[in-house]
Amino acid sequence: MKGNVIKYERDNIDTDVILPGTYLKLHDYDELASHAMEGIDPEFHAKVKDGDFIVSGKNFGCGSSREHAPIALSHSGIKAVLALSFARIFYRNSVDGAFLLPIEIDEEAYKNIANGDELNISVETNEIKNVTKNQTYQMKPFSEIIGKIIAAGGLFKFKP
Amino acid sequence: MSKTLFEKIWDSHIVVEKENGPSLLYIDRHLVHEVTSPQAFEGLRMNKRKVRRPDLTIATMDHNVPTNDRSLPIIDQTSSIQIKTLEKNCQDFGINLFDIDSPYQGIVHVIGPQLGITLPGTTIVCGDSHTSTQGAFGALAFGIGTSEVEHVFVTQALWLEKLKPFEIRVEGKRKNPFAVTAKDIILSIIKKIGTAGGTGTVIEYTGEGITDLSMEQRMTICNMSVEAGARAGLIAPDEKTFDYLRGRKYTPENFDELVSVWKKDLYTDPNAKFEKSFTLKIDDIVPQVSWGTNPGMTSDVTDTVPDPKEFAKGDLAQQKSAEKALQYMDLKAGIPITEIQIDRVFIGSCTNARLEDLIDASRVVKGKKVSEKVSAMVVPGSQMVKKQAEKIGLDKIFKDANFEWRESGCSMCLGMNPDILSPGERCASTSNRNFEGRQGVGGRTHLVSPVMAAAAAIAGRFVDVREMDLN
Repeated sequence: MKGNVIKYERDNIDTDVILPGTYLKLHDYDELASHAMEGIDPEFHAKVKDGDFIVSGKNFGCGSSREHAPIALSHSGIKAVLALSFARIFYRNSVDGAFLLPIEIDEEAYKNIANGDELNISVETNEIKNVTKNQTYQMKPFSEIIGKIIAAGGLFKFKP
Repeated sequence: MSKTLFEKIWDSHIVVEKENGPSLLYIDRHLVHEVTSPQAFEGLRMNKRKVRRPDLTIATMDHNVPTNDRSLPIIDQTSSIQIKTLEKNCQDFGINLFDIDSPYQGIVHVIGPQLGITLPGTTIVCGDSHTSTQGAFGALAFGIGTSEVEHVFVTQALWLEKLKPFEIRVEGKRKNPFAVTAKDIILSIIKKIGTAGGTGTVIEYTGEGITDLSMEQRMTICNMSVEAGARAGLIAPDEKTFDYLRGRKYTPENFDELVSVWKKDLYTDPNAKFEKSFTLKIDDIVPQVSWGTNPGMTSDVTDTVPDPKEFAKGDLAQQKSAEKALQYMDLKAGIPITEIQIDRVFIGSCTNARLEDLIDASRVVKGKKVSEKVSAMVVPGSQMVKKQAEKIGLDKIFKDANFEWRESGCSMCLGMNPDILSPGERCASTSNRNFEGRQGVGGRTHLVSPVMAAAAAIAGRFVDVREMDLN
């Protein structure tokens, strides 16, 4: 999985900035995507490319249980969010609907990965290669259930 | 083996357990609202599936509903469609719905307990993070996403990784229960443990500071557990819990029998181990006001807006967040909290819109007028709360003071209906989240208790309610 980084160097990116509440009435996924990250980055929709990754700090996705948040990111082209930690409902929502991969990284990776860097992520080996910087980081492996839900392609395809 | 209350409820609901892996947990009650359910119902249709236990599923509309005159048509077409979609879905799948005209309509976490749907020892889910509110009854209640909503529709069960029990003990009884409220206790807790302090845990609140609280106040505590990162909050049921639930619309007929079972079961064993624990003393808690853009960014009302560097205590990311927060909130470090002037007041939400909240706020408001610079509104948590409040004349007290008295719903807590802040407006809000843009693009939210919000409405700025003359 290869892509470029959009980095938000802050903690507690909440679901209200990922997708403001007023858009929870929308049902069209592309329309939802057009408002992704609008709360803190109105330029997001114009700059995001298919295959990009978001990199951010602690407690990413805190707040509401709206599955619209990972949907909006996923339909914007985001394939994974790499963060120091995740709020639990966002984390499960991301994999339950096979929207994107929530990847936990350590402080070293967080510090070194810069906006625009090209990454190559291998979930099989839990490795994140920073192609731009020629560095390699380890991601925190997924737990058994999360790994299986991801491998199955979502909660409804998952067989324990 | 000694167990915590959380472990007892968890273990009694396991359908399948994998060694060191996830558990399939049975779900006793599924609450549904109009925003996180449409795709789940669509999924059922696409796969020609039914709701397995419509009798354990209850729906209402709360997020989108206008709070002005309900006899008028809904102007926002997208809201109107979402509301009608829930009506159709409930009809098609045989689900009991409290619709916009129902005397039982209200915020889902307010009506669950009011109707006696929320019971001790049960598992309760809803596509809404503040489902944690209902943990006040000793239920394991937590928010889920739409995929999981669909999963519960079909199976009445969920695959979950085991959470960890976290004890938060509040020592001592409040000396000034009118001014130091449940909201101040939970904001103080979040300020201390942080917005991710409870990640991966279920918090059990214990100690005299908690048992001393009424059921409605306990709900305020459990409601904001999710703001501390926890999946759920729990309080062991006691006589107050049973008294609250006795005789409600859906309270089971064999209630007294159930109470004797609950009494034998639903508490943390004396030697049970918590994964984490944290203690705070009630005497250290004073009225709180949030100054930043997450609920952990909160100060005592007697304090000043903190310097980001001091607030962060060496954590650079935290310092940056605080700097950004002050910029967004248009506040300068060092100014006294009581010098912050406000434009709007919102008394409402699943955190603080129950009858006691409105009674307390009305005591501050009675015989006074809202500051001319401020526009203020009260949005009762449910139609039942509204009716009860009107019966004892609270609507008149608020309206006489120039508060707007509205119909029930989530309203300005999350800005999905027309009740929103304009860019730059500053609001004293009894809700749960002060995130950027939460109450409207560019809106600035200060989280406070209902009495603090009421006092701010009168003064036009934050005041320490302990200093107010209530006669």
